[in-house]
Amino acid sequence: MQIYQTKCGDSPFKELDLHKIEVSCASCSLSELCLPRGMGPEALEKLGNIIKRSAPIQRGEMLYRAGEEFKGLYAVRSGLFKAFVTADDGEEQIVGFFLPGEMLGLDAVETQVHVCSAVALETSSYCAVPFTKLSEVCKEIPELQNQLFRIMSRELSSENQMLLTLGKKNSEEKVATFLLTTSTRFHKLGYSANEFKLTMSRQEIGNYLGITFETVSRVFSRLQRNGIIKVNRKVINITDMVALKNLVSGCAG
Amino acid sequence: MGWRKHSELVTLIKSTIDNSTMEGLDIFDRALVEKYDISGPRYTSYPTAMQFTENFKLPDYRRCVLDTNAELIPRPLSLYIHLPFCDTVCYYCACNKIITKNKQHARPYLENLHKEIQFQGAMFDDDRLVEQLHWGGGTPTFISHQQMYDLMGVIRENFNLRDDGQEEYSIEIDPRTLKEDTLSVLRRIGFNKVSFGVQDFNPEVQRAVNRIQSYEETKDVIKTARENNFRTINIDLIYGLPLQTESTFTETLEKVIELSPERISVYNYAHLPHLFKTQKQIREEDLPSASEKLKILQQAIRMLTEVGYVYIGMDHFSKPDDELAIAQKNGNLYRNFQGYSTHANCDVVGMGITSISKIGDCYSQNVKTLDAYDEIISGGKIPVFRGYMLDTDDLLRREVIARLICDFRLDFSQIEELYISDFNRYFFNEMKEIKSMGDDGLLSVDDEKIEVSQTGRFFIRNICSVFDKYFNRCDRTTQFSRMV
Repeated sequence: MQIYQTKCGDSPFKELDLHKIEVSCASCSLSELCLPRGMGPEALEKLGNIIKRSAPIQRGEMLYRAGEEFKGLYAVRSGLFKAFVTADDGEEQIVGFFLPGEMLGLDAVETQVHVCSAVALETSSYCAVPFTKLSEVCKEIPELQNQLFRIMSRELSSENQMLLTLGKKNSEEKVATFLLTTSTRFHKLGYSANEFKLTMSRQEIGNYLGITFETVSRVFSRLQRNGIIKVNRKVINITDMVALKNLVSGCAG
Repeated sequence: MGWRKHSELVTLIKSTIDNSTMEGLDIFDRALVEKYDISGPRYTSYPTAMQFTENFKLPDYRRCVLDTNAELIPRPLSLYIHLPFCDTVCYYCACNKIITKNKQHARPYLENLHKEIQFQGAMFDDDRLVEQLHWGGGTPTFISHQQMYDLMGVIRENFNLRDDGQEEYSIEIDPRTLKEDTLSVLRRIGFNKVSFGVQDFNPEVQRAVNRIQSYEETKDVIKTARENNFRTINIDLIYGLPLQTESTFTETLEKVIELSPERISVYNYAHLPHLFKTQKQIREEDLPSASEKLKILQQAIRMLTEVGYVYIGMDHFSKPDDELAIAQKNGNLYRNFQGYSTHANCDVVGMGITSISKIGDCYSQNVKTLDAYDEIISGGKIPVFRGYMLDTDDLLRREVIARLICDFRLDFSQIEELYISDFNRYFFNEMKEIKSMGDDGLLSVDDEKIEVSQTGRFFIRNICSVFDKYFNRCDRTTQFSRMV
């Protein structure tokens, strides 16, 4: 009778899940640290020795907690993390989501203590760079130090952008901005700018953008009705990028 | 709802579609019927309940619910409420029910049900509207008017019911249990759709199955339902009951057509007394022969389509201007535990004993006995008995089966958009079988789509079962060989 063959050896599934996206060093933000211009093979090896690849960590596992001593910087290799601060009343405020290739832990460089906590939102993996050792290598390779500054500066400027989003924009513009920046980040990773999966919950998106989760869904529904996006559970398909960009820049009435 | 043999339909279609004379049984393509004569799941779920496992527990269910709350645009809800009591036994019944004359028996159950509704309601985000609501049984109208008010009140307190006319709130009704104002009570508490169990109008058949209800009685309640502005009226019929003949069922059908319900379901009676004790009360020698059953079904389809009903698929008929027929035309018909539905993609929350929920990527079924239900609810928990977590392969097969069963058509791009890069490669073996069904005229297939033919619509279970990983062709019972 019939024999069912369901799965071929090479996975036929579309790779929509972030945890399936394995970042190569070349596309990783850490590569700017690992492989600065003009870095000799000897220095490269030195740097390679201090970077540690983690085993996968599960959804809900903490990368670090607020108040913990600063040990180093982390670059997401696969999956998704969120960073958040906890207010005195126990309320959580999300300060960022981190995709593969992006860096966490900069919040503790100055005080040597983490201000934020970071948790995996799905099965994830990361690379760790012990900061003391990094400083030592930086002394030997000034170009590496400069690159580190560049990354921190970029973080700062995107944080300023975020403050602007939170302060000045209405909820539709906020969600549109969030979609567009996420799209750009995925595109940088070499994935589609138009179709991606948002693993974070609508509650988390709302928390991050300072709007209620009901509003998050209402805006997503409206964008869908207006033909700008298509939503299938957690998968977003941007069907009208121009309209989305217009929303972000506030041109669309 | 058990599986139903559908070889009868197969035969029927050969005679109604392929042969304009439609005379007798000697006209169907015996080879084709024999080849495809199998019993198959009705695919109200995929995988079917046979795959459910007790390894699936409450925390799994809870996680599924929270995951669906987290979706960017969470799906609306469809609530199913199970009311298992009946005051008399219908001998054909294979449902999970409790027969009692004592109305008091419903009280402790309803108290527990209220609690379950609270527990469940607390888990779902408030902005998830209830698009669909269904009370099934048993006999939902077994309970008193006050109990109906209270039950709906508790549902309203714990879920977000929409009352804007877009909702589809339905209840199964045994016309014999109605008091004069029951229908107006039901309308007042929010129902807008009723389903009447009729089965057969012939008095002898009714006696043989212990369900006596006169045509006049049913006619009256349907008139009352219309006066109360119920939007959709459905009538359930069963063929294959004891003492039924083609001519008695023709009379029943004439009466049903006169009542002009928006929807008609014609179910097959499967006599399985070893599984369902009450069926032992039915005398085997009273059952219509296989060939008589074929004639009955044939007659049903012929009569209903002649007066304008549309065959939606899988035992269901509707008027052409009914939402079901329109949704099918527009490609937004869906399938759930109650059959076909116009309400897309709802997450289904089943409450009460034996009820099945379908939330996101899981199915979850409640415990089956009143005692177990009472014990777990008293402990403050949702009484999950077993369930199933779908993996990606299950999800995409579920979508394939849903599209085929509702649209009678499948564009491979629909599946490729969501799941896999190459439909034809993924389903290499399945497509070989599909192509051979194409050679038999059940469907047409090319590199991009499957289109089920008019003939194939009556073989839809066969076609779907090709994509059912768990359906064991070796175990199938060959009903047809018993029939000839």
